[in-house]
Amino acid sequence: MLVTICIGSSCHLKGSRDVITSFENLVTQHKIDNQVELTGSFCMGECAKGVCVKIDEELFSVTPSDADTFFETEILGRLS
Amino acid sequence: MNTNLEISWKSLNKYNEELCGDKVEVIKCDDSEIVILSDGMGSGVKANILSTLTSKILGTMLKGGADISDCVETIAKTLPVCRIRQVAYSTFSILKISKDGKGYLVEYDNPGCVFIRDGEILNITYTFKEVAGKKIREYHFAVRPNDYMILFSDGVIHAGVGQKLKFGWGWPGVAEFIQGLAQNLISSSRLASLVCNACRNYYMNAPGDDTTVAVMKIINEKIINIFSGPPASYDDDEVLMTDFMSSPGKKIISGGTSANIASRILGKRIKASLEYSDPEIPPIASLFGMELVTEGVLTLNRCAKILKQYNAGDFTEGFYQKLDAQNGAAKLAKIIIEDCTHLNMFVGQAMNAAHQNEGLPFDLSIRMRLIDSIKLECEKMGKSVTIKYY
Repeated sequence: MLVTICIGSSCHLKGSRDVITSFENLVTQHKIDNQVELTGSFCMGECAKGVCVKIDEELFSVTPSDADTFFETEILGRLS
Repeated sequence: MNTNLEISWKSLNKYNEELCGDKVEVIKCDDSEIVILSDGMGSGVKANILSTLTSKILGTMLKGGADISDCVETIAKTLPVCRIRQVAYSTFSILKISKDGKGYLVEYDNPGCVFIRDGEILNITYTFKEVAGKKIREYHFAVRPNDYMILFSDGVIHAGVGQKLKFGWGWPGVAEFIQGLAQNLISSSRLASLVCNACRNYYMNAPGDDTTVAVMKIINEKIINIFSGPPASYDDDEVLMTDFMSSPGKKIISGGTSANIASRILGKRIKASLEYSDPEIPPIASLFGMELVTEGVLTLNRCAKILKQYNAGDFTEGFYQKLDAQNGAAKLAKIIIEDCTHLNMFVGQAMNAAHQNEGLPFDLSIRMRLIDSIKLECEKMGKSVTIKYY
């Protein structure tokens, strides 16, 4: 699974760094780094939906405060 | 052959003095660059006036093509006489580097210039000349890329006198110190900074005299090209990219959309990093053929700040730590400050629609202002800047 987090100007200001940190910690915690690859992208062009996160090609809107919940639901959810 | 000069200088004021009695003046002429270092007698306001008059008069006259004898005579007749000492006096060193690589140096009562080539101290022959009753040293030489010429006032050779170093640092000590640093081909500003810091240490933070170091380094022409901002019309994407790619020199892209345009037209993938070396600056990316790919306005904003700090004369250790940092803005600023003589910017003028309805904390459409700001700071550093808008 490829999870892409936008690091463009707008998403950066909305907290992409915190989202990245949360995801990195959760991947390590759940020991799924061989199943989930985290990568970055410059502006995806959907700034209103910041922070933009893509799971494979599907676009989601994530905030630093709901990053953990998002991870459980959408990422862990898809793996099981 | 087009010789490029990288010039930096730093001064320490004599303890408790508000004004420095040393003055450095840089003059750009069509065919050469002239650096003048002048040390006014005494300290404080008087010394500052003497050295300022001296360097300005010399500079203006030399730029106008005057003969060195005329310049010296004019100074001798112009400098105000000190009421106490009954003398009007200021030292001077004049270094002229012509674009064709010819060097000319005149020294009057300043410590001799330290020449470094290939990590070795070079002994360049000089002749004594008497001009308007003053005994001056005159040197003629040819320069090569990576040559260093370091001028300094006697505050440098007296550093530590009577305290840490009995008779002061001395010319041989200073020259050896500089030689050691020049091995690594460091930038002129770092070298000036390190010599000044050494003086400050020897003086134990209380300089006994005004202390000035001016470093001139001969560098090769280094062209940097920056693409930032998508063109106003999609049709111009190809035009911009053609111009950008055909310009000689290193290529840098600043901006996500810009990077996407380059990626699309070049047919190469962007690999964005997730590394936040500085929490405020978005990570950088890599793209085949590009020296550096950064985010846009936030990075440019920080870069402009760093350039301004540099021009404001902040040569402290903390500044260089910031410059050596791994974030996109520092990397960009470092390339501009230390690795660039000519900067070409390719700037798209499209308004970023995604930024319009945002309620974001500040106005992201300040790209134009940032580009202008960067241009201004670069020109202050003596770099040539061109901007093409699309």
